[in-house]
Amino acid sequence: MRTVLSFLASLPLLAGANDSFLLRNATICPVSGPKVEGASLLVLDGKIADIGPKIAVPKDRKGLKVIEGKGLSVYPGMIDSGAEAGLSEISSVRETSDIGELGRFNPQLRPLIAVNPESEHIPVIRANGITSVALLPGIGASGGTMSLIGGQISLIHLDGWTWEEMEIRRMGAMYLRYPTIGARPRGFGPSAARIGFAEAKRARDTQAQDLKEFFEQARRYQLARRQNVAGQTVDLKFEAMIPLLEGKVPLVVLAEQEREIKEAIGLAEREKVRLILAGVKRPGATVETIAKKKIPVILGTTLELPEQDDDPYDAPFTFPGDLVKAGVKIAFASFANQFARNLPYEAAQAVAFGMPYEEGLRSVTLNPAEIWGISDQVGSIEKGKLADLMVTDGDPLEIRTQVKMLFVKGAAVDLESKHTRLYKKYSARPD
Amino acid sequence: MRVVFLGLLVFAGVRAAEPPAFIAIRNARVVTVAGPVIERGAVVVQNGFITDVGASVSVPPGAWLVEGEGLTVYPGLIDALSTWGLIEGAVLASPTGGRAATPAPAPSPSLPSGPPSRGPEDRPATTSWLKAADQVQIADRRLEQARNAGFTTAVSFPHRGIIAGHGAALSLAGETAGQMVMSPDAGLYLTLSTSGQFGSFPGSLMGSIAYIRQVWLDAAHYRQAKDLYARNTPGLVRPNYDRALEGVLDARRILLPATSRVEIERMIRFAAELHTPAVLYGLHQGYRSAEVLKTAGLPVIVSAKWPVKARDADPEEEETLRTLETRDKAQSTPAALAGAGVKFAFSSDGLESPREFVRAVKKSIDAGLKPEDAIRALTLSAAEIYGIAQRIGSIEKGKVANLTIIAGDLFDDRSQVRMLFIDGRKYLPTPETPAPPGGVPPSGRLSGGSTGEVRQ
Repeated sequence: MRTVLSFLASLPLLAGANDSFLLRNATICPVSGPKVEGASLLVLDGKIADIGPKIAVPKDRKGLKVIEGKGLSVYPGMIDSGAEAGLSEISSVRETSDIGELGRFNPQLRPLIAVNPESEHIPVIRANGITSVALLPGIGASGGTMSLIGGQISLIHLDGWTWEEMEIRRMGAMYLRYPTIGARPRGFGPSAARIGFAEAKRARDTQAQDLKEFFEQARRYQLARRQNVAGQTVDLKFEAMIPLLEGKVPLVVLAEQEREIKEAIGLAEREKVRLILAGVKRPGATVETIAKKKIPVILGTTLELPEQDDDPYDAPFTFPGDLVKAGVKIAFASFANQFARNLPYEAAQAVAFGMPYEEGLRSVTLNPAEIWGISDQVGSIEKGKLADLMVTDGDPLEIRTQVKMLFVKGAAVDLESKHTRLYKKYSARPD
Repeated sequence: MRVVFLGLLVFAGVRAAEPPAFIAIRNARVVTVAGPVIERGAVVVQNGFITDVGASVSVPPGAWLVEGEGLTVYPGLIDALSTWGLIEGAVLASPTGGRAATPAPAPSPSLPSGPPSRGPEDRPATTSWLKAADQVQIADRRLEQARNAGFTTAVSFPHRGIIAGHGAALSLAGETAGQMVMSPDAGLYLTLSTSGQFGSFPGSLMGSIAYIRQVWLDAAHYRQAKDLYARNTPGLVRPNYDRALEGVLDARRILLPATSRVEIERMIRFAAELHTPAVLYGLHQGYRSAEVLKTAGLPVIVSAKWPVKARDADPEEEETLRTLETRDKAQSTPAALAGAGVKFAFSSDGLESPREFVRAVKKSIDAGLKPEDAIRALTLSAAEIYGIAQRIGSIEKGKVANLTIIAGDLFDDRSQVRMLFIDGRKYLPTPETPAPPGGVPPSGRLSGGSTGEVRQ
């Protein structure tokens, strides 16, 4: 009994200690401002309480954990602007994949509640300093790849006992794959059949028309709901469209090529919704419009071969920097699961090929926070924000840099992952 | 004169099936191909053969005379790789079926059917036992079109599948299919296509190559086993009859596809490995490989179906430099081959009409090929490639009278084919009328009775 009592008494202290600490003598890179050497960072109850050259332990926080940060650098945790972390474990095992749904219009799908907090991929991604992701519905392998509106985009912390604890924002945006003209050869080799352009364009036009009609139906539904029309049934699909139509959340449109980007911009203007472009690869002349209209762009991987045979070898490396020079706000996304761990290197490659370093760092921290409308909580080291932090032994865009500590909402996160467990196991293998 | 003419018509009506014993084309320009051009000469044809040619030859009494003023006499043109005379569907391969030796399935528009093949033992996409000579369709309306364009001969092949079948040199006119066949064993046509069926071997280029290699090894073993068995050695197990391998053993030569330089080099090595005389076909990037081909000593058949942008291409599609370069330079391949001394012929390769074929060859002249080399490629070189040059391909004493007589020059778009001789029989071009699709056109053969000739 006594032990139980004393355990209960110590609870508040433990809870407090878990997400509060003082880090001293570290280099702090807030992203929102210049780097500060030899500074201290005070985190109280999961939030950044103070940053300064010398901070003492507050009087009411006796026993606060103090971390010596000599030789270490503190950065905001990175944000992957498009991943399926926790939605899929083994893509070829159907039971472990919950990434999408069949059907062309699924605005009611909310990937947050499908997240498996125990996914083995999450610690692997975290180990490289990524603390948040934008969860995309219906990307990757099975299910939903042919959908137009794949569902909502949820924003999560990469730590928590349950999906509720991981939540940053349940509905961060609506996700649309803009229909494309797939007039490409099917199959390979000399016998590959070709769908004609005219046929492919007809198929695309039909889809674009269906999309337009879906928006119109949603508008009518929105009006009916607002006016409390008698007998109006609740339709979850259209219900989910209301925040988008009211301008409360943006529309993310997956559009690679100039043709689709142009139409996506047209759609956003017609429907008066806030647009975020994703997966942009060949924007052509639309870059000017994108910059002028301040449309944020979420880029896929930099680490790939050029799209076309005759592109310069470094086209994918220089493209993000070119967009930045044109005045476009960009963020990087892995559009993948475990490969989200390569996020810092997407930016690093762009920096090596012409993007200013500060922009590179921003494109995986503050930019995504601003694009997703969560910069009041994460994305930089500022007073009042959540303490999603990575502590490294150097520049996070440098591949040799190690993440030494990781904090999500002020709580230290174990950096062990399946990779490190296997590393240890096989390092200790008897000869 | 008028009486003579009428009499001629009567004669023609009575003797329609029988060509006259002697025919003489005189005062014409004669492009012999075998030797120099005779600016004003005569060609004498007797019983289907050329009996005399030259600037001053004596015309036998009683010969039919063709006044050649303004006409040019060429050896009959040859399409060196064709499907003329064969009707699509009649030459289809079955997806599997080497060893089973079951009757061939009913022709269907697409190749794959039946169970997927698991490996070379199922003989996927193989119909090496098919012979074009057995599939000749005299009703093919392209025969008439081909004659109208000046062609007297086509080497036609079954072309579906990996080992498609044996080609035949066909005279492009005849009373019966059998009469049209000049040579039934022109060669075995190979492609490097896949099985064309999902989940079926081979599904890749390396698989197709490995398959052909295996079939050749099997064929060599099969030949040994059959030879041994034929010697009545006691206790020998009877080798299983395999029609796919029989077909391979019958091949005098093989035709292998190659377009790019890497493919050309690969096929040169592959042909050497198969120990079978080979002819490469396609060659649109042959302008890069003339020297390699010269060194290898392989003859080639250049497809005159020059690459063009697909009519239904996406207008915003960015084409690669390689595509654009090939489209720009493919027509210069024949000039490059001629320059390097590579033996080459032309293939119509599914061009829509035979007339287009001649125009396509003209494009390679525009790209630097000498007209005399173009004519040689369309005649003697094609005959040499298939080992039938002792019979056709040039205007020489003793050769079969396959002649194309044109008012003007072959490659002049305004010139017209006036007359053809195929196996010594005279044919006149038919007026251009769009034939009903699938319908059987009237025979284009017209014996006797025409303008410009009198009986001596």
